[in-house]
Amino acid sequence: MSRGTTGEARNDAPRGGAGEARSDAARSDAARSDAARSGASRSGADDATSRYGVAIGWRREISGFVADLPGLRFTEVVAESLPGRAGDLPAQLAALCDRGVAVVPHGVRLSLGGAEPVDPARVKHLADCAVRLSSPLVSEHIAFVRAGGTEAGHLLPVPRSASAVEAIVDNVRRTQAELPVPIALEPIATLLDWPDDELDEADFLTEILDRTGALLLLDVANIYANARNRGGDPLDLLDRLPLERVAYVHVAGGAEHSGLYHDTHTDAVPADVLDLVTALCERRVPPALMLERDGDYPAAQTLRNELDAIADAAGLPRITA
Amino acid sequence: MIGRDELARRQAALVAALVAGAPTPAGFDETRVRASASALLRKRAGEVAAVWPVLSSSYSPQWNSVFTAWAAGRPPLGALRDGWDFARSAVGGTGVVGAAAEEVAEREVRWRYDGRTAPRRRRLPAARRVPGGLLVQAFGRLFRIDRHP
Repeated sequence: MSRGTTGEARNDAPRGGAGEARSDAARSDAARSDAARSGASRSGADDATSRYGVAIGWRREISGFVADLPGLRFTEVVAESLPGRAGDLPAQLAALCDRGVAVVPHGVRLSLGGAEPVDPARVKHLADCAVRLSSPLVSEHIAFVRAGGTEAGHLLPVPRSASAVEAIVDNVRRTQAELPVPIALEPIATLLDWPDDELDEADFLTEILDRTGALLLLDVANIYANARNRGGDPLDLLDRLPLERVAYVHVAGGAEHSGLYHDTHTDAVPADVLDLVTALCERRVPPALMLERDGDYPAAQTLRNELDAIADAAGLPRITA
Repeated sequence: MIGRDELARRQAALVAALVAGAPTPAGFDETRVRASASALLRKRAGEVAAVWPVLSSSYSPQWNSVFTAWAAGRPPLGALRDGWDFARSAVGGTGVVGAAAEEVAEREVRWRYDGRTAPRRRRLPAARRVPGGLLVQAFGRLFRIDRHP
């Protein structure tokens, strides 16, 4: 397991290990105790501290900026952007690990919501990333990205139906069986709704989390986008989600286009989304609150200002100084 | 309740409508499907631009509209192949001059791409014409031979 020139890789001893038979209940219990260790189950009202605090996603284009953030204790990297075991981790990312920054591999192409069983090679890559980065957890999406042999090139919503729940629970369990750490699932922003939605979003998510023991990657920008495009109140959903299962939170920017709000990750975070950050932290402070920026990178000072705005909205310490 | 096979079929129909020019499946909002398809193309144009920066900026400021017009109805194959297929197409081909032509030529001499399967690193030397000369790849190194040294 190489990490370029930075010497031996560290990794936490895998919990249980791949291939060991584990009952669903044992897996759920283990995931919950891990959640407790990571601070996800602390009661919110009395405890305004966040284990990792404000953070930003790691991208090659801003790797220098990320490395220079004095208060950074957490980041996330797209798993598919990392090489397989034979390749070296980007040096800047390995340096963050060595510094003790928690690095979470975020899968975007496993297609856990697809009707087809998840590809074992993709699961293995995600697990390998977690080991190489000494990650406390991994994350992926409640979505599918391919069907009928065709790639969509983006995360697509699954119907909120019983059969989709079965499919995703099945794929999450297949994935968990190979992971040494817990998985957090992220519900996505979507412009589309399926005609055969049976469950509302809160019930759908809660059922998936209950049956898999997985954690929740709460993306407040996605909640905002969906509520805005459906004409609803984002707080309605926020109040029905199991916030004690939140492993970490995403914040991102977007823009309006032809009357619809698009969660682009390439625009500034709107004030309404910052308000939602405040509302969330009033209910329960998450273990980490991470800005996602995927392109069109602004000047460093602009990014710093945005991180400060997120920290201020959350009532958390700024990480830029 | 729809079973797993039916779910697979319906997911395939939605993907085909979004990226392969197939009709919107029954029950979906047509406006939202079209909006999603456009958003997917915009995102794809940005991803291709990141992998083919000289090619894409040579079309600036029309890159988005030129690429999305070509890509609409063609399922994505990843940014490397999408940009490559675009550059080799009639639409892309006429626009690929100057520095953009060099960017394409450099990929052509380093990688073998048949247009149907993933590009593979060339093991043997290869050469391509570039504006003002010839670009040669041998043993992983590039050499440029100018016509008028």
